[in-house]
Amino acid sequence: MAKKPTPSQTVGPFFARELLWKDGGTVLFPGRGERITLTGCVFDGAGAPIFDALVETWQADSAGRFPSGDDGARPYGYGRVSTDTDGRYAIETVMPGSFKGPGGETYAPQISVSIFARGLLKALQTRVFLATLEVIKDDPLARAVGDPERLRTLIAVRDPRDPKIYRWDVRLRGAGEAVFIEY
Amino acid sequence: MADTPVADVHPPYLYPDYKSTRLRAPAQPLVRVAPSPLEATGPAFPRTFVKDSEADLTTWGRSAPLGEKMVLVGRVLDEDGRPVRRSLVEVWQANASGKYPHPVDDHDAPLDPNFLGKGQLLTDDEGGYRLVTVKPGAYPWQNHAFGWRPAHIHFSLFGNAYAQRLITQMFFPGDPLLAIDPIFNSVPEAGRQLLVADLDLEHGIEAVALGYLWDMVLRGPRATPMGV
Repeated sequence: MAKKPTPSQTVGPFFARELLWKDGGTVLFPGRGERITLTGCVFDGAGAPIFDALVETWQADSAGRFPSGDDGARPYGYGRVSTDTDGRYAIETVMPGSFKGPGGETYAPQISVSIFARGLLKALQTRVFLATLEVIKDDPLARAVGDPERLRTLIAVRDPRDPKIYRWDVRLRGAGEAVFIEY
Repeated sequence: MADTPVADVHPPYLYPDYKSTRLRAPAQPLVRVAPSPLEATGPAFPRTFVKDSEADLTTWGRSAPLGEKMVLVGRVLDEDGRPVRRSLVEVWQANASGKYPHPVDDHDAPLDPNFLGKGQLLTDDEGGYRLVTVKPGAYPWQNHAFGWRPAHIHFSLFGNAYAQRLITQMFFPGDPLLAIDPIFNSVPEAGRQLLVADLDLEHGIEAVALGYLWDMVLRGPRATPMGV
């Protein structure tokens, strides 16, 4: 018998002491991998930084395998941070590998991202790509989006001076608005 | 996926009566995609992540917190009614005076040194949970003139897959503030009662704590072609 899902509600402004984990911005994996940092700012529709967002990430390891265990204290593969007063977040993790879907389609190197905040009645879901437009063109989400200008909002850009850093700013509304997804 | 009931009960992103949505709600339509095989899996929380004591918010201090003690029980299910087992549930709430121990909470109400308002638990093999706490107080907020949030407990659920992740709020039956709360009323009418617990005295503790019952339902295999 089908049950109605419980409706979503906002995380509100008061979660910092309750939901954040010690070192939640360092994503754990059992093996080695190329360590990178995904960082940027979250902006609202007026271009102001959002200083009270909760950003969570879930990703494959560097070989494209899905994390399934824990280090004894915390699960592998999951990141959780809040933005700071400048709207900035940073996730230190490994470069994710690509993986295959059930129909043989290839998912480009990507990190699944959820954003929660005051004023967001539901989480914003998306996927950020750690690869160029050319590399991601056959990814299922890239195909669904189509428009390269919109797709560019989901590409983290490698810092030319520090190749370990990938920069991704997220605009929730208006000019440069990121693509958000629903399942 | 067109027949999923999801759109019937979830609030929209833009709900102008809740002012903070106006600059934060996306203006573009969402892109509908199947959950990736990655998103059909989720983080595995070790048993040691949660201590049994964290399901009782009343034992954190040196003595009992102020307020009306309550027990909340229920189950976490998927849309097919199957239990969501051994999954992380996080809760947080204001104290009985409607105050959070948070630096940006400027409500002029007292903190309670014996109440932190934070807990977590793992659901059992039937998806069940039991939380002991005090009833949170209502508190004023700046959204509109004479605005007060109804008493509520925040819930964060991981389910067994990333695609099931949910953050929501539980409300209390018969609260007159529900009628004026834009956050509660952002939910379409068909979904609002799903956020309101039932008074269920027998789940309480005789002469000690009121009992409430509230089940939570996460998206299930119907909505996720991958199977979750």
